[in-house]
Amino acid sequence: MAADEYDTSGYTLKMTPEFCITSEDELTCDLTVVLEWENEPFRPICILSDYKEMTKWCAESAQLHSLTLNIKATDDIQFVMIDKETHQTLAGVKLKVTPASEPKVRRRYRNPWSLF
Amino acid sequence: MKKLKVLLLSCILLPILAWADVVDSCGEKVECIEIGRWDVGIALGYGNRTNPLKDYDDIPIYLVPTFAYYGDSWFFENGNFGYTLSEQEKFTINLTTSFSSDSAYFHRWDPSNIFIAGTNKFEPRTLLSSTATSPTILKAAQEPEVGELEKRHFTYFGGVEAFFYTRAGTINLSLAHDLLNVHQGTEAKLKWLYNLAIEDWKFEMALTFDWKSEELVDYYYGIRPGESRYWSQAYQAKSALNTGIEFTSHYVITEHWDLLLLARYTHIGDEIVASPLLNEDYTSTFFVGAAYRF
Repeated sequence: MAADEYDTSGYTLKMTPEFCITSEDELTCDLTVVLEWENEPFRPICILSDYKEMTKWCAESAQLHSLTLNIKATDDIQFVMIDKETHQTLAGVKLKVTPASEPKVRRRYRNPWSLF
Repeated sequence: MKKLKVLLLSCILLPILAWADVVDSCGEKVECIEIGRWDVGIALGYGNRTNPLKDYDDIPIYLVPTFAYYGDSWFFENGNFGYTLSEQEKFTINLTTSFSSDSAYFHRWDPSNIFIAGTNKFEPRTLLSSTATSPTILKAAQEPEVGELEKRHFTYFGGVEAFFYTRAGTINLSLAHDLLNVHQGTEAKLKWLYNLAIEDWKFEMALTFDWKSEELVDYYYGIRPGESRYWSQAYQAKSALNTGIEFTSHYVITEHWDLLLLARYTHIGDEIVASPLLNEDYTSTFFVGAAYRF
């Protein structure tokens, strides 16, 4: 462990929900997620993600422990909580995006344009 | 003509030598369709289908519809129904309905002519009255004319068909009988199809052998005594074998739009060509247009 790093056992990041199944029509997840964290002892934190609409968000108040996001996603999104000053990773959570099952297909016996 | 038949037959039978090879169930060789979802499309463009009947106009084509629905076993495709008895990796066996092209020559609104616009005069007219001479069939000038034709009705066929999937293409065999008791005829087909995809270009080539029973040939191409006493005796219908070659190509522009090119050539069996109703020994079809799939 580096000298400027510290015990992260008091820092957790949770997300509800953690899974989403895409709709068959649009192949996207359109949902609201709630991020909740424990931050003891208090340190200013930031939440980073690979979601392009929210790459970085920072909370400086000790009373703030949750964040609600409206998300439209086609792929998994990783959220990471870091110490704002040291950039040390404190906790992380992933939104798992699962595609709807592939449509069932079968052989087609005629050329669509073989009417004549 | 015999050489052509041998060549076509060889092209169909040779792929059977590749029998042991397994082909992908869905891919560039075999087209697939989503179960439980309508596939509807329409093509706009220009084409033409020649009519081998004497004094009947060719059929212009401006609009070509396509609609299909496949369930787990049942399927509906462009006016025909089918039921799959066995679907295996190497073959399929279906019960199916079909309609032949023969009645289409006589009827403007035959299913094979659906949505074909034009000013065709499909009412039977006195034959052999035209001064036009046939390039392929010459009949003696003194032969009597055929009078006004009686109705040749459309009918549905019902039967069984099999598809065999090989790396060298698909072999399609079918045997069907007149379901509506119009002529009580039978039709048997042997078809070899080969599909090829080169990036967004998709090609399908097919060779066909289409055998028609004597009853069928007699109903559509035979002459009734009321039409001509002479020809009802002089022309005796026999079973016939049509041979054909087909080419279909489409270029995928977007998810919904395709460019479409269709070409068909069918050599009509000698036993049918001998009928005084015909003045051509072939029929050909082409269509070029843009297709939209909903």
